[in-house]
Amino acid sequence: MKVKMISRNPDNYVRETKLQQHKVPRNYDPALHPLEGPREYVRALNATKLDRVFAKPFLCNLSGHRDGVACFGKHPKLLSTLATGAYDGEVRIWDLANRTSQRSFVAHDGFVRGIAYARNGERLFTVGDDKTIKVWNTVAPDVGEEEEPVNTILSRHILHGISHNRLDNSFATCGEVCAIWDEQHNDPIKTLKWGVDTLHTISYNPVETNVLACCASDRSIILYDQREAQPLRKVVLTMKSNKLAWNPMEAFNFTVANEDCNLYSFDTRKLQTPLKVHFDHVSAVTDVDYAPTGKEFVSGSYDKTVRLYNAHQSHSRDIYHTKRMQHVVCVAWSLDNRYIFSGSDEMNVRMWKANASEKLGVIRPRERANFNYQEALKEKYAAHPQIKRIARHRQVPRHVMNAQRKMRAVKEKELVKEANIRKHSKKGKVPFVSEKKKHVLREDV
Amino acid sequence: MSDDEEQYDPIAHKKLLQSISNLGNVQHIRKSTRDERQPEQNEFQLFKSAKATEHAPKAVGVNDLVQILRTSKHIETGKKLKNVHNTKKVLQKPLEKPVADRIKRTIGYEGVKKKLARWDAVVAKQRSAETQIFPIPSETVYVNTAAHANAIKTSIKSELGKELQASIKKLNDLRKAQIGDNTDEQELAQLEEKLLAQKATRDELHARRRELAYLRMRESQKSAKARMQNKIKSKKYHKLLKRQKVLEQVKQFEILKKTNPEAALEKLNALEKSRLLERASLRHKNTGTWAKNLQMRAKYDKEVRKDLAEQLAVSRQLTEKKVDTDSEDENQTTDKIETSAEGSFDPFNPWMTVKPTENDESKAKEDDVSWRKYWTERNENEKRLAEHSAQVEEVKRKKRQQTTQAIKELPKKKKPRIIMENGWQVEEVEEPDKATTKSKTLDEIFDAQQDNLHNQINHKLDKLKKQAALLKGVTKKSKKPKIKHDALKNLKDLTFKKTKQRVEIDEPLNQDEVASKQALTAIEAVNDLQKSKEEKKSTPEVADIDPDKIVSVTWKQKLRLTNGMNDALADDDAAEFDEVDPKAERQMLISEAFEDDDIVADFNKDKQDDSEVKNNELQLAMPGWGCWGGAGISQKALERRNKRLLLKLAEPEKRRDDNKDNVYINEASNKQARGHRVSSIPFPFKSLADYEASIRTPIGRDFVPETAFRMLTRPAVITRKGQVIEPMDESELVKPDRRLRHVVDKRIRRQEEQAQKARLLLVD
Repeated sequence: MKVKMISRNPDNYVRETKLQQHKVPRNYDPALHPLEGPREYVRALNATKLDRVFAKPFLCNLSGHRDGVACFGKHPKLLSTLATGAYDGEVRIWDLANRTSQRSFVAHDGFVRGIAYARNGERLFTVGDDKTIKVWNTVAPDVGEEEEPVNTILSRHILHGISHNRLDNSFATCGEVCAIWDEQHNDPIKTLKWGVDTLHTISYNPVETNVLACCASDRSIILYDQREAQPLRKVVLTMKSNKLAWNPMEAFNFTVANEDCNLYSFDTRKLQTPLKVHFDHVSAVTDVDYAPTGKEFVSGSYDKTVRLYNAHQSHSRDIYHTKRMQHVVCVAWSLDNRYIFSGSDEMNVRMWKANASEKLGVIRPRERANFNYQEALKEKYAAHPQIKRIARHRQVPRHVMNAQRKMRAVKEKELVKEANIRKHSKKGKVPFVSEKKKHVLREDV
Repeated sequence: MSDDEEQYDPIAHKKLLQSISNLGNVQHIRKSTRDERQPEQNEFQLFKSAKATEHAPKAVGVNDLVQILRTSKHIETGKKLKNVHNTKKVLQKPLEKPVADRIKRTIGYEGVKKKLARWDAVVAKQRSAETQIFPIPSETVYVNTAAHANAIKTSIKSELGKELQASIKKLNDLRKAQIGDNTDEQELAQLEEKLLAQKATRDELHARRRELAYLRMRESQKSAKARMQNKIKSKKYHKLLKRQKVLEQVKQFEILKKTNPEAALEKLNALEKSRLLERASLRHKNTGTWAKNLQMRAKYDKEVRKDLAEQLAVSRQLTEKKVDTDSEDENQTTDKIETSAEGSFDPFNPWMTVKPTENDESKAKEDDVSWRKYWTERNENEKRLAEHSAQVEEVKRKKRQQTTQAIKELPKKKKPRIIMENGWQVEEVEEPDKATTKSKTLDEIFDAQQDNLHNQINHKLDKLKKQAALLKGVTKKSKKPKIKHDALKNLKDLTFKKTKQRVEIDEPLNQDEVASKQALTAIEAVNDLQKSKEEKKSTPEVADIDPDKIVSVTWKQKLRLTNGMNDALADDDAAEFDEVDPKAERQMLISEAFEDDDIVADFNKDKQDDSEVKNNELQLAMPGWGCWGGAGISQKALERRNKRLLLKLAEPEKRRDDNKDNVYINEASNKQARGHRVSSIPFPFKSLADYEASIRTPIGRDFVPETAFRMLTRPAVITRKGQVIEPMDESELVKPDRRLRHVVDKRIRRQEEQAQKARLLLVD
């Protein structure tokens, strides 16, 4: 029998000592490299193709909940911990590194509406449909001991959401009113009210920690200052906003997930027009969360997809979906800017890579340099048609495709109609209204 | 214990009785005791207070106090108190709740806006940074704790040092004593200060309080006065007030004129604006009720008549137009505006123009107000300047003509010219004399023609300029009200242009497939239709250079010049030329600019060069080979051999554009490569050159040195694995620039600094 073997002589590829530098005799005279442009172009093309080959963003599925996942709570200090609340009142704490459920307890009757960690991560606040705020220890009880909340606060109003201040001991809940609480007291320090609508989300500004914002059921976004006796300002959009997320690096910017398939980024100081309208979803956007770098955000939608956006661009840079993922209810971006979590109706929490083709695990310096080079090449040739086509091609579910087509047709029809009306009416009578201005109805003082 | 119970306690007994008597109307809801701070009272915790107050002791009122004081020896105080009580002012009714809330909200929002605006600079810096590192590097202080590190500068003095210091002080004291100055001034000052600080006692505090009270009183007085003044309805009062104000302004203007002419000009503008407003408001027309009343009395009262006349005069003065619509005058004004280089001037402003003739000026001077005088003076100066420049030009022109005509040495009658103020010349109209025209030489005719053309072009140019200026003015005016206070202005101002531009593709995923499948035909069709219509209606403002058109115009012009041999004919031509629409004029101008280059010829030549076959035949015979020297070698044979070795190549195919004029088809282009090329400039780039530059530089290791490679491939965002990225912290606002430790960072910083230095040098 003949055995074929690959034999290599280590002398050919191993350095004599570790410290020895490879000396590459090289002449950088551009005259000697007439094809440097084409070569780099081909490299960029290959890098783009490899990027798509390795784009496998789905990491794992965390199953354990017995009802749809309603909300997430990110631990402010620990990256491997995530708290999730379900429709049946169960709260689970996950160990993400091992992909297991550390702890689970039934916190509320009915939905768990919101989870928030205290600023040092020692306590966990949950609010539910039973009008209670429960405070839990983040350290699991000993074996044999029962899970019991450290404190239970009965609220006079219905509660829909909770958010904890990043720097001090206050937290805020929303529901009928926006209430500011202190950790040490059982009564709210302050209740802020504007009209009689339901507030269904609340979010503290992580940078300017006195400012917070709510989304109300009268399609408005309301800004508050926890030191003021009155709310600050209200913007009314054409449809209801479902969630609100502040940019953690730009104190004045926030993004809302809207019922009309779009997301809107606002500057707090200029609420009449959004800074950017983020399109691409084909159904109501249910949740949004910023990356800790403040450069990107993730959104989950009723159309069973998760989309990633650059904060300053109006179209998504990536779309994540799996066959079994149903309506996405909540999304979160991990605090090390590497992972994305999505919780959906069908009881699962999914973990994704924030950068679809990123290599996990240890990366050696030379590898790192090569990745950087590939990234730079992709960026450099991003506008070239072939590269663009490959880089921006995504397989999307059929229902999304169909919905997109339908939406496009509707939009086109509207545009044609408007153009026709404009054509046949007096000049200047049908003004051109920018897409940004269409969606904000009014700003209340 | 039993003893205690039996003992009679009157207080307890009374309480018991009271509670028994109260049994019928028991208050079930008690006043809540607060164990937790509460911002608002719950409705369930309210209790009825009507019954409770019946039995409870009444609150002490001011009257009770006064009553008590009256009986005692403090009668005076009691009176004072009573007085105060009686003379108290009733506070104003507070605003309605919604309004008050709205005010509170706006104030709160403004505060938050201001707070958020603090982050502008940090955010702008972050956005424009080439690479961002997360978590944001915290400020670290490096202290070298090694044993061999330098000792801290503020070291404790040794014994010897202390002694030395003491002795030096002693020496100084001695010296002072010698001079006779036996006290230390510093010490004295310190002492004085201390004493003063101690003295800031009751008296001083009282004085301060009094002062503050006085200030408050003044403030309230002032506000009251302002309120009263606002309520005055007397017309006379307002008239006087206004006049006073105007006089004051004029005075200020006079002062400014001497000290700060620019500010004076601004002031002048403001005055002018107020005048315009008044003019627009139709005042002083004698149509008001006051004037009508006076008219009734005017028949009998001389004074009243005078008043009315005065009023009318004022109106006339206000509404008087100071501009003649004569085109030349307008030219003049525009020219002046240009020369004065005051962009902010209003071309409509009648005060900026002056009557062209002297006597008019003098007339104007008489009724001019002083600021107008100032302006006229200014104008005159400019006029003189223009005249001077025109004269200089004239001299130059003469010289040129003389040199060209030097060969012919014909005594030529010089055309008398009137020099206009704005620098261009117009020939005086001469009686057409046939004899003289015949006697004119060819050159003269050409010259005249040229001058004429030149003048006309100048004229048209001026007109255009004026129009442009007007248009500019209009756009400015229309823009002004639109400019709102932009809340993000600060942020925009602070943002830098990114040094390293990157392509940003902001379009939906799968755009290409979508675009190929579906075309936005309908909308585009509608839009195109509209566009084409608009284009037909209005000629484009910007003259785009179309070679064909230019060339045709050039030819036209040439024709005209050759034809225009005759003066009369030329004049006709000129007249016709005057009426040509502005489009043709523009083309004319452009064609003038391109007069020298013949584009068609160039193009044809290029094409020919390209299509020419360089070597149709190839000579394979090499000199020396097969050429035997000596006798008997016939030249014929050699030629035959050469002919044999001449390789004739196939006839090249005809070019595809061979018989197509004005068309060049590039046959070297590669069809396969077409799909890989960028068809339009991608987003953040504004010019092709910029984009090409960004593509041209190679970034690979094979083409650039290692450090450059590292620099060029630095990612935009660097994060560390397993580290929580905290949101922006407040310390970021006051943090100094980070000390750079990475080699690449340092290098980048150095390069930036060098670039900045170079820029500064350039500016200098």
